[in-house]
Amino acid sequence: MLVRDIMRRPAIAVAGNTSLRDAYRTMQEHGIRHLPVREGDALVGVVTDRDLRLATSALAAAPISPDRPVSEVMSRHPETADPGDPVEDAARTMRRRKIGCLPVVQDESLVGIVTGLDLLDALLRMTGVDKPSGRLEVRLADRPGELARLAGFFGERGLNVHSILTHAEGAASVRAVLRVGSIETRLLAEELRRSRFEVVWPPEKPWPR
Amino acid sequence: MASVIYHPAYRNYSFGDHHPFSPLRVDMMLDLLRELGHEVRPSAPEPATREEVLDVHSDYYVRRVEALSAGEDVPDREEYGLGTPDTPAFPGMDEAARWHVGGTLAAARRICEAGERRVLQLGGGLHHARSNFASGFCVYNDLALAIRLLARHGLWVAYIDVDVHHGDGVQQILYDDGRVMTISLHESGQFLFPGSGEVRELGSGVGRGLKLNVPLEPLTEGASYLEVLDEVVPAALAHFGPGVLVVQAGADAHYEDRLADLMLTTRDYEAVFRRILGWADSFTSGRVLFTLGGGYSLRATSRVWTLLYLLVNDLPVPAETPEAWRRRWADRAGVELPVLFHDPVSIGADVPNREAIARRNRNSAQRLLEAAMPYWS
Repeated sequence: MLVRDIMRRPAIAVAGNTSLRDAYRTMQEHGIRHLPVREGDALVGVVTDRDLRLATSALAAAPISPDRPVSEVMSRHPETADPGDPVEDAARTMRRRKIGCLPVVQDESLVGIVTGLDLLDALLRMTGVDKPSGRLEVRLADRPGELARLAGFFGERGLNVHSILTHAEGAASVRAVLRVGSIETRLLAEELRRSRFEVVWPPEKPWPR
Repeated sequence: MASVIYHPAYRNYSFGDHHPFSPLRVDMMLDLLRELGHEVRPSAPEPATREEVLDVHSDYYVRRVEALSAGEDVPDREEYGLGTPDTPAFPGMDEAARWHVGGTLAAARRICEAGERRVLQLGGGLHHARSNFASGFCVYNDLALAIRLLARHGLWVAYIDVDVHHGDGVQQILYDDGRVMTISLHESGQFLFPGSGEVRELGSGVGRGLKLNVPLEPLTEGASYLEVLDEVVPAALAHFGPGVLVVQAGADAHYEDRLADLMLTTRDYEAVFRRILGWADSFTSGRVLFTLGGGYSLRATSRVWTLLYLLVNDLPVPAETPEAWRRRWADRAGVELPVLFHDPVSIGADVPNREAIARRNRNSAQRLLEAAMPYWS
């Protein structure tokens, strides 16, 4: 999944001479918290609703008038993303810099924006259910070929795998969480166990029989 | 007494000998009733017409079902959920599915045209089917079609789905319908197919606040199930004021079910069915339509649905199953059949975190009511 797949376009942006008051109104009208600031097509900064509120607040060391331009309070030289960046790169940058958005720039012009909420949407798309499906959780040995063996199990049965997520679990194993297009996950779990997979979900039922 | 709707052609809705959605379930039930001395005299419905099916399903979907049914190749069938391992295509599939729809529509007409109160359709309950997508063994959504028919006749419908899987197709088709309340109790979509049925799925437009979901923890037992049922359903019915209940009586919340993880016994199912009949008396002048649904343990499902038949007909529940029935079906069911009709009072299951499961279910019911009630005032 790439930045271009999740970014909002076009980005709603303002010019540097826009007043804080007008910038704040723009944010409220669109229900957003981040505005790229540009001169012509070129990105020159980012201003957030917190920048605007703090600059004009009694808490500020020297509060300024809401009629001043955003160029006075914006962050200059903001971090940006390329439409072709993987979303995890965007997430890593935002996490490391503790920032809430990345303007997306291509050929030196602003083409979109990615915010923390867009990354949460991406997470939901990767983990979530958008089709009727059943969930299976399998513990795999952390070595080449194990995931292929698991995928082959479903392929042989003509079953569609809607999503698959894996994460390391200790040093020697990997947990794979799959959503498959089937109501029969319990029967699949039995078959997986017969094929020597360790199935974490669904579990065996807890009664003596 | 109740009207019973059934036709042997329902048996043709079969995905093969090894598929869980087996016609043997109803065969075993009818044979059990016969051996118990009850003569089941069902009324025969007609299969639904193509036009009737189109009330919910799109023409391009029906055309694909028809083509597969006639043995033609449909290259994009999987985009419509057809010809998949769950819902394989088979010759005559279209007509077989229309028989089940016809039965549920006939059951609805018994209520809204013939003025009957209790009707039991010994088939149907295909609650996963979408307007253009087959899913979870379901091709045509007989329930949504019958509910629309009832609503058109001026009877507002409260749909109660006790199948262990979320009634996603019915909910989706009727999501913005203000004449229909849907209530589904099911194992949480976090763990079980189809994955939906969260508390926050409340309906849209004039249907907002009328689509209710109680997701339950895996290994939920009868006591907790009945507690949340009692907390949610009477309050919802009192608000909505339905003219009729439509009940999908899936038997797969039973502890022996092969596809799911709830722990209801036949005794719990008896309590659920008695409550629903009582709510019909209190809220809908006794008008209630039951269909069958899921249920993938032959020995549990045949007894749960026999119970349903006995209760809607005010007949006593027997202590034991007839020996002839046990002998006849043990081999085909692949398990020994129980001498006692009911499951034991305690099934001896060692459920971990029983208290935590009950607490989480209680929280779900309360969160649901808190979210829905603002729309009820």
